[in-house]
Amino acid sequence: MAGFSELIKNFEKTRDYVRDFFLYGFKVRSDFSRKSARTYDDERRRVESWLGDYLHYEDSARGRQAAITVDSGHITENPLYQAYYARSFTHNDIRLHFLLPDLLADGKARSLHEITDTLSTEYGCVFDEQTVRGKLKEYVEEGILASEKHGNTMFYLYCGEDIRDLIAEYDGLADALRFFSEDDECGVIGNSMLHSADIRNNFFYHKHNFIVHTLEDETLLGLAEAVNEGKRVIILAKRAKNRSAAAENETGTEHEVVPLRILVSVQTGRRYLAAYIPAQNRFHTFRLDSLRLLRMGSKEPNYNHIAMRLSLCMHKCFGVSFGSRKTNGTVQPVSLTIHADPKSEAYIIQRLEREKRIGQLQQIEPDLWKITIDAYDPHEVMQWAKSFIGRIVSVTGGTEQIRAMFYADIDRMHKMYGGAENDVVS
Amino acid sequence: MTLFHEIYSLYFRIVTHILDRVEITDAQLQEIIQKEGYKDSVLFLPQKLIPQKDGSDWMLLRRTDQGTLRSILGHKPQRTVTKLQKRWLKTKLSDPRMRLFLDDETYASLRQHLSDVPPLWKDGLYCYFDQFSDGDDYCMESYRKAFCIILNACKNRSVLNITFISNKGERKQICGIPLSIEYSRKNDKFRTYFRCIDNGKLRSTIIVNLGRILTAEPLDSHTHSTIQMQNVFAARQCRKPVTVLVTQERNALERFMMEFAAYKKRTEFDPETGICTVQLWYDLTDETELLIRLLSFGPVLEITAPSHFRALAAERIRKQYALLHGE
Repeated sequence: MAGFSELIKNFEKTRDYVRDFFLYGFKVRSDFSRKSARTYDDERRRVESWLGDYLHYEDSARGRQAAITVDSGHITENPLYQAYYARSFTHNDIRLHFLLPDLLADGKARSLHEITDTLSTEYGCVFDEQTVRGKLKEYVEEGILASEKHGNTMFYLYCGEDIRDLIAEYDGLADALRFFSEDDECGVIGNSMLHSADIRNNFFYHKHNFIVHTLEDETLLGLAEAVNEGKRVIILAKRAKNRSAAAENETGTEHEVVPLRILVSVQTGRRYLAAYIPAQNRFHTFRLDSLRLLRMGSKEPNYNHIAMRLSLCMHKCFGVSFGSRKTNGTVQPVSLTIHADPKSEAYIIQRLEREKRIGQLQQIEPDLWKITIDAYDPHEVMQWAKSFIGRIVSVTGGTEQIRAMFYADIDRMHKMYGGAENDVVS
Repeated sequence: MTLFHEIYSLYFRIVTHILDRVEITDAQLQEIIQKEGYKDSVLFLPQKLIPQKDGSDWMLLRRTDQGTLRSILGHKPQRTVTKLQKRWLKTKLSDPRMRLFLDDETYASLRQHLSDVPPLWKDGLYCYFDQFSDGDDYCMESYRKAFCIILNACKNRSVLNITFISNKGERKQICGIPLSIEYSRKNDKFRTYFRCIDNGKLRSTIIVNLGRILTAEPLDSHTHSTIQMQNVFAARQCRKPVTVLVTQERNALERFMMEFAAYKKRTEFDPETGICTVQLWYDLTDETELLIRLLSFGPVLEITAPSHFRALAAERIRKQYALLHGE
């Protein structure tokens, strides 16, 4: 395996493999036919190197399966963050990373020429000015160095703040970092701060924790920037069945969209970009895990107006679907009648109250509760409705199709679980 | 500004730790890499740090006359907070949960410190549309106070006396130590794993919602007991996993794998039938939650074991069938 490295240059490729190992865990080498077997071997070895004991192998009838096995609620650090910490770099990158702040530690501003000279005379490291200029510019952008122009000459100085000083100055900040570093809103950035300060989280846990979300954090940063600036973006939305690394090809559709919000389902783990598609004059949601941000687009002149229209639309969304409507349309109210004794089964009523989202709940009889949901897409209500199986007295409204499907589903489940029997399937 | 940048990389962190030592032996260097690096880092990193005759190393260390390695830097390496990190921190200041960690004065001071830093995103970018609506009130003074006491006790393993309202609505008082704090984005609530102490002896671990705590009073005692959370979790885990057969109908396999991604699981796919057999390990106190989530998938999956779990599903379905068909 000559030429193998633990480090990676392309995050996109690796994220698809990590995602497949984590989410599915049943795929074997031959399932990853999009790239060569050698690529699979390298990616698998890299993931094994990063994650150690979290990567498990199991022999199945189809071959050897590689799976990342994690009980996400019982960990204090997301192991998938490692993918972000494995970026490859050049000799010059690492040398200048340590030399430049050291050389500028006295706070004195120096020109490019002075810096390049000092690197040679004080440290014995010879660099060409172009390399040093590039790194200085990069570190100014990253907030490590500052630049100021004196006449025609640019001067550079160290302007950084040490993470340990920041934490020491603000009491409670270390604990906040411990907690938020495992949050699913780019928590990896907080984790990088913890590591930088040699601190570990050892007492915060996150239940219902979708650690795989971190693999979309880089995309999210780009989308957030576009939202901040009110810009359009050009995205590639892969089709659902092509979402994984094992998919045959990477076909998808390119869209120019106005990104507006990130819609997160904390129950199903799915996350979406809610966007407006100008070419179709409609709102649409794209799964984040099947989306690639290709490039920034132009400034959207009507951004605030579009964002306000989305906010209005969201009042009629139970989930993330705007139904088949375009910008205007009608809702299709669906009603569920649920049986619950208010004395002995108050927890069911509490569930309805806290989970109803845009629904209206009313007590229609002493032990009957009707929830009516005016949603563009009543189909979205039905998975949640089925979490009340055993208590649903009726489903009305919505469409004929969803009502028929609900009744058919209950019939199928009744047969599946043996009707009056409930024997274990061997 | 990108997150996938070498300045955040593990290799850079390891080198920082090595250069922090100013002078180091080859063995110590190897030990740091072994301890902090990836599994294979020891194959790659030492040769880049230890001076090589052909000059292929990074030239950050020099060999001394005594045979040790010495940093070429004049100072210990900086651990600079980057612009990205500051912007992320600024964003988090708008999160109401941040107020649980910082008192008003510290919060205002940090906010002032970051006043020139733009947040990474504006409030409202994220919308958790199916989050439960009865989440904790993080701004409530009594909640913040209880959180602070629980957190400090958790860190110091100090003993607390707490009163709280139980699930059954009863007022209870117990003495013990909080072992950890757990947050659920779905419930938008914090809970603590609380190890009860009775007559000076450690007893069972219970879970208390922080929103149900009425008073939390630190006692002047500590425990030196080393209770590992992994043991607590293991004690609460099911003995036999739930086995589920998941079909590909209605994209069920993909939906299932994402929805149950938080669980420890084992999977096997049969390409001939298109069915995936999944075993899920769960916390016994979450059995009902798991059951209703599995049933919400409808007939595109089937619970096959263990028998008591399948019986629970069958019972609910029988009731449902009777409600619709009047049988």
